[in-house]
Amino acid sequence: MTRDETSRVVVTGLGSVSALGLDTDQFWAAVKTGQSGIAPLQGFSDETLKIRLGAQVKGFDAAAHFSSRDLPLLDRYSQFALVACREAIGQAGLEPAALFDAAAVIGTGCGGKETDEITYTHLYKQQKSRAHPFTIPRGMPSAAASQVSMQLSIAGPVFTVSSACSSANHAIAQAALLIRAGVVEVAIAGGTDAPFTYGLLKAWEALRVVSTDNCRPFSADRSGLVLGEGAGMVVLESERHARRRGASILARLAGSGMTADAGHITDPSADGAARAIRAALRDASIDAQVVDYVNAHGTGTLANDRTETEALHRVFGAHAKELMVSSTKAMHGHALGASGGLEFIATVLALRDGIIPPTINFTGPGEGCDLDYVPNVAREKKIRVAISNSFAFGGLNAVQVLQAV
Amino acid sequence: MVMDIETIVKTAIANQKMIDVESISLATSLQDLGVTSLDAITIVYEVEEICDIEVPNDELENLRTVQDIVTGVQSLLAKKAQV
Repeated sequence: MTRDETSRVVVTGLGSVSALGLDTDQFWAAVKTGQSGIAPLQGFSDETLKIRLGAQVKGFDAAAHFSSRDLPLLDRYSQFALVACREAIGQAGLEPAALFDAAAVIGTGCGGKETDEITYTHLYKQQKSRAHPFTIPRGMPSAAASQVSMQLSIAGPVFTVSSACSSANHAIAQAALLIRAGVVEVAIAGGTDAPFTYGLLKAWEALRVVSTDNCRPFSADRSGLVLGEGAGMVVLESERHARRRGASILARLAGSGMTADAGHITDPSADGAARAIRAALRDASIDAQVVDYVNAHGTGTLANDRTETEALHRVFGAHAKELMVSSTKAMHGHALGASGGLEFIATVLALRDGIIPPTINFTGPGEGCDLDYVPNVAREKKIRVAISNSFAFGGLNAVQVLQAV
Repeated sequence: MVMDIETIVKTAIANQKMIDVESISLATSLQDLGVTSLDAITIVYEVEEICDIEVPNDELENLRTVQDIVTGVQSLLAKKAQV
């Protein structure tokens, strides 16, 4: 199916907060040079905590971004969402009128955990009898979406999408579908999460998938994921809208694919992942043979990296060996619901600049991991088509196909 | 209470897989019982709670049979008793 300008979706703005920096220039500078945002975990003194590493956002001063009137209602995950959205909208150069009618689809895997845990500590640990009245409006899973709407005067369709680690990619897909359906001309979408809270860290610890030494996607000695935090947001528009207002187009979002494994709650399935990639390519009307780069889900867990590689073999056949595949999670960590947003941004910039992000910490291929993972050093190469994968716990898969303009 | 590790482990597996505890022997392979990675960490969690031990992540990867879990728990309890 050939789409016309009204139903073609383009990317015109990027915004991020991550362990790699407080804006997208810092993020991309770090990704291009293979820097890691992973460091010893700060802010937790409990010796029973086995998680000792994190890709935490450093130097983020909430008071510099928000008024003292607004701040009490902003959980950390909402703060990240707002800062990233402001940057993306600023880059896109959108007028307030266009923004008023826009959609905002905000992915989050965790919601306002900081707020919940403060209240639970108050009640369970300190044995207080009253919860703070802001607990619900600050902590609810849709709080970030509401704050984005309120503070940026976005008054079209605004809602939260939650699908664990695929949240951002599902959110971006929903936003693109709203544009393609003619519901809106402009949408801001992506993901945000702030999972560094004691209870949540303990819960991740119990899953035994978090590495205690480092994140080494696709490597033989990989030992799990490292949690991250932040937000990755993008401005999407119909191509017609972007061209009419003379916006600078960064890339085209050619298609999205969404599938579910309908299988296991934590074990990934190559079939579900492969079907999502195929669905995305079909939606984009793009042949698998022209894909140059895959920004992998690449968590660094034993199960994901093997399964994802198998899925790529199934979809791309002999062309799989020609693909450049990298996981940027070794740099920005697994920022859960925000990861897909950060990875979408890395993929757009790879297309724009002809620089392929590396898989850092690569020590040699693991069993069943036999592709070109762009080990350790970024590669300069002009590319035309790239895909960005997100495969979440619960078997919820979302894949984007991006095209250079 | 004399801790019967074998019973604790078998009961944890039986509860997780919703099967009859009598159907589990020490030689039974975890794969044959359909124990997934999530099942494995849940079974180990139950046993850790009862026995007040901590099973390191890397030991989990080597568990193939019910006997492997029992032996691992016994060894951790013996180490704990020495402390």
